[in-house]
Amino acid sequence: MSGLVATLKGICSEREGRLGLAFTCLILVFALAGPLVSPDPNVIDVKARFAAPGLAHLLGTDNLGRDLLARTSAGTRYALTLAVMIVVISSVIGSLIGIVAGIAGGWVDRAVTAVFDIVNAFPPLILAFALIALYGKGSATFVLLVTVVFIPQFGRMARARAQTLRNLSFIEAERMLAVHPVTIVVRHYLPNVAGPIIVLASMNLPVVIAFEASLSFLGFGVQPPKSSLGTLIKDGFISINQSWWPTVASALVLAIATLGATLLGEALRRVIDPKTAGVR
Amino acid sequence: MRMKLDRRTFLAGSSALAILPFARHARAAGRTNPIIALDADIGNLDPGNRVGTTEGNIIRSVCQTLVRFEPGKTSWTNDAAKEIKQVSDTEFEFELNPGQMFTGGFGEMTADDVKYSFDRYINGDSNGKKLAYADDMEALKSVEVTGKYTGKLILKHPSAALWLIGICDASGAILSRKAVEQLGDKIATTLIGSGPMVLKEWRPKEQFVLAANADYKGPYKAHFQEITGKIIPEHKTSFLSYQAKELDFTAFDADQLDTAKGLPDTSVIDRPGIDYTWIGINVQKGDLADPRVRQAIRWAIDVDAIIQGAYSGATSRARTLLAPGLLGNWADAPLYTRDLAKAQALLAESGKTDLTFTFTCLNDATSLAVAQIAQANLAEVGIALTINAMDSGAYWALGADNASKDLELTLIPYTSKFDPSFQTQWFLASQIGLWNWQGWNSPEFDKLHQEGLETLDKAKREAIYISMQKLLDESASCIWITHGRNFFVNTAWLKPMFLPSGKDWQFEFFDKA
Repeated sequence: MSGLVATLKGICSEREGRLGLAFTCLILVFALAGPLVSPDPNVIDVKARFAAPGLAHLLGTDNLGRDLLARTSAGTRYALTLAVMIVVISSVIGSLIGIVAGIAGGWVDRAVTAVFDIVNAFPPLILAFALIALYGKGSATFVLLVTVVFIPQFGRMARARAQTLRNLSFIEAERMLAVHPVTIVVRHYLPNVAGPIIVLASMNLPVVIAFEASLSFLGFGVQPPKSSLGTLIKDGFISINQSWWPTVASALVLAIATLGATLLGEALRRVIDPKTAGVR
Repeated sequence: MRMKLDRRTFLAGSSALAILPFARHARAAGRTNPIIALDADIGNLDPGNRVGTTEGNIIRSVCQTLVRFEPGKTSWTNDAAKEIKQVSDTEFEFELNPGQMFTGGFGEMTADDVKYSFDRYINGDSNGKKLAYADDMEALKSVEVTGKYTGKLILKHPSAALWLIGICDASGAILSRKAVEQLGDKIATTLIGSGPMVLKEWRPKEQFVLAANADYKGPYKAHFQEITGKIIPEHKTSFLSYQAKELDFTAFDADQLDTAKGLPDTSVIDRPGIDYTWIGINVQKGDLADPRVRQAIRWAIDVDAIIQGAYSGATSRARTLLAPGLLGNWADAPLYTRDLAKAQALLAESGKTDLTFTFTCLNDATSLAVAQIAQANLAEVGIALTINAMDSGAYWALGADNASKDLELTLIPYTSKFDPSFQTQWFLASQIGLWNWQGWNSPEFDKLHQEGLETLDKAKREAIYISMQKLLDESASCIWITHGRNFFVNTAWLKPMFLPSGKDWQFEFFDKA
């Protein structure tokens, strides 16, 4: 608990950290409280299409008369859920693969590194189109795609740490005492790898949010009637002659979400892993 | 890098900024050849296997037909033909103008080229495969060559439609035998003609350029040296491009009419449509084979809300296949106003529960809006729809190789011609696997279609086409949405030209205002 408080204090010690934390909290509240204060995001009311912001609809309505506050909130919730899910899955899988490669060395290490290189060789959008062509559109495809893209990043980080740890004397000593390798990994490797992985994960959250919005904007992400910040921006852009607020509202939310997560990630890096702060 | 801001830099920057808003206007004003937007790319340039209006419009400007539509009219005058003489109801003699040269060095047009071009509709392509538009020439029995420039068209039966939708239109394009035989399958992507224009360039999914054909000998010389067609599937995007002066002519959606009317140096064209957009239900597919399920869907979908929400109320609702004003319009066709109780009763009667279907549509804003309204409507009666939005290339490819067999509900926008037989032909059993995406097979409908083709008496034809629409109505395989309304904007210096339908553009007659 004291560690969490210390981290929070560290984050709040600088202006960027405070701003990042505030934006992130704001977005979280917006995403979570949306269903409490706004109607079903998918209810269509064509008579109320393009209604201006007002008491009935705080952010107005879209081209089908759907409440924009509800849809923007749902889109934010969707983006955050996906981002957290992807970052957690890819960090866990990537860390484990990286640690195994770092400890094992030899051909295992070379094989894992080669696979990481192959995945990294594909630009994410091209890889996205290929996977969508193979498996179709939808959230599951998106999670699979971005997880695959992010695993090498976490894997490389964990591998580098594991290689450093492998030759340290306390690890050597544990090995000499015939401690089970899994125990060594759990007791020494994971705690040492966790810090930089958490920092990397927090830095990747805004990337996933923006990537999801980009794919949805292009029509390859979330499918109707679900909303996403990308589809909201696109639909708003298409109808910009009728009303500008759908585009502005959803773009603003996207900007705050990514900016908040980025600033928070940077602050977290400074606190948890000061050695790499400022390194990109 | 540090930027030094001195007085000179400031003045230069300010001047550049001040000029910037006028730069695009200057560019647009300086254009001498129009840049226009089309919502679909070229799919297949073989006149008999063309996919849509884009190819039809290009083919009519690049190729010659025996007779050509007059500017903006459905009446026609001689084009490749010097003279056409009606010998009887089923026999016509033609004589070609001499010296009409095909581009690409494929020589002079002769009567043999006419025979070769038209025989493809009778005998199929080089592999014997029936052409997609073969029914446009259904009445044609044979073409006889009687001389280098002369020949005879022999009909199976008298036909009111042959000239209007066949010989005069893109299906009647006269191809070079030598070119087609030499090109083989490349005929789908290469267009050799002898008409007023040539297809100078085509960059798929980006643009094509039509240029005036310097060797054209006929009376309809193109007015512009070049017309560039940009492929912009989304009308709203092309309208924004028009506003940014990147385009000189584009169609736009109904909900932007007020904006269009306020644009400077712009002419707004508003044409009632004769096309037909409908939700087709595949009668061969799973639970949709039960007519009660189809009827329930028809009662559950709120077409009035679709008109309001997806079309901004700017177009009227369609009752049936043939639009008002066309021969055979069924003015008293039933109007299905949403009735959830009836829909639920029919579903209960069918005993089907937990129904889930895929709704396929184009990925433009209007189609997606229709899909989402239908999705919300059907959810209220317990039918779940998954929307499958496709780009235009993939969507229209469903019209070949039986790719449509797995469709369930589909939003289909088809264009019309002025003879009702053109519209009814897509619902024939022979079109299953091609353009009959409902998979609906009615021998009675097919028989009436044939009768309609062979009848010349207007009143009798009208009765036939109304009967056919009644059969379609009984099948509950089609939920008619709208006949559309076509809106266009063009820069004041340009005078576009199209047939009264609004969809058939005559590039060869585009002119300066």
